[in-house]
Amino acid sequence: MSDQLRNRVMLAVALLLAAIYLFPLYWMYITALKTGSSMFATPPKFLPSEPQWGIYAFVWESRNMGRYLWNSLVIALGAVSLIAVLGVGCAYVLARYRNVWVDIGLFLILMLQVLPASLMITPIFVGFSQFGLLDTPRFAVILAIAAKSMPFFVVLVRATFMSVPMELEEAALVDGNSRIGAFFNIVLPLARNGILVSAILIFMQAFGEFVYSKSMIQDIELQPASVGLNSFMGPNTNEWNNIMAYATIYVTPILAAFILLQRRIVSGLTSGALK
Amino acid sequence: MTLQIELNGVNKFYGAFHALKDINLAIEEGTFVALVGPSGCGKSTLLRSLAGLEKISTGEMKIAGARMNDVPPRKRDVAMVFQSYALYPHMTVEENLTYSLRIRGVKKAEARKAAEEVAATTGLSHLMKRYPRELSGGQRQRVAMSRAIIRHPKAFLFDEPLSNLDAALRVHMRKEIRALHDRLNATSVYVTHDQIEAMTMADHVVVMRDGIIEQQGRPLDLYDRPANKFVAGFIGSPAMNFIPAIVADDGAQVVLDFGKTQAKLAIGSRLSPGTSLTAGIRPEHIKIVAEGQGAFDVPVGIVESTGSATFITSATQPELTIVETGRGGAKSGDIIGLAIEPAQLHLFDTATGRRIEPQSGQVGIEPLRHLHLAGHAS
Repeated sequence: MSDQLRNRVMLAVALLLAAIYLFPLYWMYITALKTGSSMFATPPKFLPSEPQWGIYAFVWESRNMGRYLWNSLVIALGAVSLIAVLGVGCAYVLARYRNVWVDIGLFLILMLQVLPASLMITPIFVGFSQFGLLDTPRFAVILAIAAKSMPFFVVLVRATFMSVPMELEEAALVDGNSRIGAFFNIVLPLARNGILVSAILIFMQAFGEFVYSKSMIQDIELQPASVGLNSFMGPNTNEWNNIMAYATIYVTPILAAFILLQRRIVSGLTSGALK
Repeated sequence: MTLQIELNGVNKFYGAFHALKDINLAIEEGTFVALVGPSGCGKSTLLRSLAGLEKISTGEMKIAGARMNDVPPRKRDVAMVFQSYALYPHMTVEENLTYSLRIRGVKKAEARKAAEEVAATTGLSHLMKRYPRELSGGQRQRVAMSRAIIRHPKAFLFDEPLSNLDAALRVHMRKEIRALHDRLNATSVYVTHDQIEAMTMADHVVVMRDGIIEQQGRPLDLYDRPANKFVAGFIGSPAMNFIPAIVADDGAQVVLDFGKTQAKLAIGSRLSPGTSLTAGIRPEHIKIVAEGQGAFDVPVGIVESTGSATFITSATQPELTIVETGRGGAKSGDIIGLAIEPAQLHLFDTATGRRIEPQSGQVGIEPLRHLHLAGHAS
């Protein structure tokens, strides 16, 4: 009986925490639908009395969101492709070889992860401008994001590779395959899930990236949605419903993708730990 | 018979660790060789070196007459069955079987035909579309074997293939693997830590310890004439009894030292008196007789019966294990007499563990003493 009671209490606590955690999201969705006056009403309303559905089309048109989202997509896909191509090989080597240098390498990789983007941006900006990379600002941002997120990807994918038994590769070698052939035929298909999951996480990060884009992309034609959202918010802004509608359009696809894929993502993140 | 596998002075180092020490081995075509020894003895390293998965540090390795030292695994044309089977989890049984053929560019239809033929002989025909995770342990084992067979390799390498199976299946697969070997007229190298597997399956047993080949030969030769105490204790189950002993004054008997009591035993020939050595007696070579009728008497400690045989452990120090077929009448606390054929007594040098042959009448240190005396006289 006490077990049942404890389970109920735990469930209540979990629901409460989830509610607190998800409240901002909820507030974003309902604020977008509110009229100007109900937005500032006290006490606040938790359900909009007259939802303004037309706001999405209005914001999309007026802010030219298609262009912003396209730029976000270009940057995110570019960064993910670059990271996946370079990171998979790196993670494989780090998974298969174990010595002092590999340990030092892993430590350095994790150190890179510690440095915040706002600290890194100044040296990166100076360096990129010297190389003339700022003439192609979206590419410059892709490079910067790739450098920033690579460690995260490498560490995750390394764990995936480590869960693929060495013996499978050896069996492929004895069966007549080369080292490279065994990697592509045996190891890569078995690590596919983990790589996909890590790539999706990187994609979501890159899709919402702000610091590098804001600093390096001056041309409004090339700015991603995160910068667009920022420029929406001036010091005297009071169109919160429009801003929230913008945010809704921006994050809902990502949220939907995450919810659809969450099973795979969670199992991908823990598969290395369970075996 | 031609030599299929030759190892000459093979050494393997992992940094400072000397894993294989000067290994010499010559395996004739069609032989079933078992590499046996305790874990960490280097048997798996040796097998992996044959497969090309480890590079030997010095020495020469030949397969079918060709030097293999620097040849990558894929060009050695050997097949390996792994302990964990190492089936490709993302391929069906059929794909697992044909993988090696497909890499070699064999046509699809041809590869499938070969797979079906092999599957028919190993009883896998109805499982071809399954994935490894949908198979039982025994079936996975068969897939691993079939994957090796399909290639007609120069040699089969087995790395403890039966250790993941339950006892009954293991006994069955033992016979099956041996039958397969005979049918294919293959050359097989089989690594195991189980001396019974080695004894029952192999034509040639190689006993290893700490990277050294302690002894190699036909299974029964190893059983009858172990070259040293380690091999004597390793081969045979239950293990051989070892008792510290001293050659008696007449040189024709040894005095077994059981601490409180001692027992005299004829050795059938002469050794120099006073030499201390270790006597080895297999449990199945001790006959139980009435008290006072045998070479010596011991008190019975523990009696265990399996139904077909009775295991008696004596209440002496060191203990003696005696195996009696059938069901003896001995009970704990009884005094029994033990009879031992002199020919079935093994003697080992206490310091080096090497076998001493009573027939030759030579003990390790005896020639030295002669030399010394001779030097004095002149």
